[in-house]
Amino acid sequence: MFQSINLCRSCVQAFRRTFSTKALAVPSAAYTDPSRHGELAVSTTPQLTEQQRARLEAALRVDQAGEVAANYIYKGQLAVLRRDPLAGPLIQDMWDQEKKHLEVMNKLQVQHRVRPTVLWEVAKVAGFGLGAVTAFMGKEAAMACTEAVETVIGEHYDDQLKEMEDLPSLHPSVPLLRDVIKEFRDDELEHLDTAVEHHSQRAPAHALLSTIVGGGCKVAIELCKRF
Amino acid sequence: MRQQLLQLTLPLIRTHGFTRQTLANAAFALPSPHPQPLSERAISSLFGEGEQARITLINYWLEDAKKSMSDSSSSPTIRGVLAARLKHNEPLLDLLPEAFALLTASSSPFTIDPRPAVTHAFGIADEACHIVGVKSVGPSWYARRASLAAVYGAAELHQLNSPRTAYDFLDALLETSSKVHTAVNEVNTFADYIQRSAISIFKSRGVF
Repeated sequence: MFQSINLCRSCVQAFRRTFSTKALAVPSAAYTDPSRHGELAVSTTPQLTEQQRARLEAALRVDQAGEVAANYIYKGQLAVLRRDPLAGPLIQDMWDQEKKHLEVMNKLQVQHRVRPTVLWEVAKVAGFGLGAVTAFMGKEAAMACTEAVETVIGEHYDDQLKEMEDLPSLHPSVPLLRDVIKEFRDDELEHLDTAVEHHSQRAPAHALLSTIVGGGCKVAIELCKRF
Repeated sequence: MRQQLLQLTLPLIRTHGFTRQTLANAAFALPSPHPQPLSERAISSLFGEGEQARITLINYWLEDAKKSMSDSSSSPTIRGVLAARLKHNEPLLDLLPEAFALLTASSSPFTIDPRPAVTHAFGIADEACHIVGVKSVGPSWYARRASLAAVYGAAELHQLNSPRTAYDFLDALLETSSKVHTAVNEVNTFADYIQRSAISIFKSRGVF
């Protein structure tokens, strides 16, 4: 009896969810929702010491460069695998999420007056090249590339969250920034899981490919921190 | 204490210039006034030896001038903000050439250091973009600031020689730079069309 009531309740909830048009209250909605662009948390930057300011700048610069590269990796993969019935829509979905990430990162860059990386164009070309080359090697190789990149990015966001613990939480933009980075970290790890589910481990020379791609990402992160 | 003293030197610069004397006399304006000006040793320990103290003072004045750029109207334009910064120079125009020369001179008599000039112009361009709310990202961030820095640098040099025509010169430069910007955009669009046509021709030959 109770089981059937619970079943009915969950059916009704599922029905409501399907037809609801209210956006989920994710932290990055503060940046994507145009009606919130005047809020203090979104439009002002906190007073920080020189060291903290330098670290914040480097962090946001790397994140923005990473999102540019990720966008172009998916663009490169889609250029080759567009017609694949399984991989095509999957890569398109992941790309759409990365587009949203880049939009938020651009707004963060303007808000905190961060200098973007000089290597912007390099990130675009390298990302597209990586995506296209791994997609040529096959669907599984493309998934393996995604897996390697998302692993490095997920760890990187995690390290950044630890670094950001000492920023002054009084200013409203700081907790929002931490929440946004957390949200993006979880999104990237979700992409990682998706890639693994779609047989990235079956890619030819998976270990070698992952090492090369992962190593390249780490070098890129260090370069973008400085330049 | 150091920041407080620097703050108090600002009104004295017009009369005493960018000198160690100005720094020494700032002690008179403290809330609990000193009976005598600061000693040379005090100035050297707070602000640096010899010419370094003057450089510290000049840099502080430049930072304060950058902050004054944002005190203008409610809907700022690039022209308005840069003109406000040029206006801030006006009381001290005769002192500025020596001040800039001091910043640019390095320890060796044969080399000049271009970095302070570039940092100065770029910093003002960045502040102007921030005040007006320019939202460029990526390479256009650099392009915009580089062009504004060049415009401001040229206008300021002009102002040092001929202060009355400086604002018209600034207007002319801004108009030229926006024409160049439009021309570059149009060339990019045209090049894009050519590229797409070339790709379509290539595809239609049946190679891919």
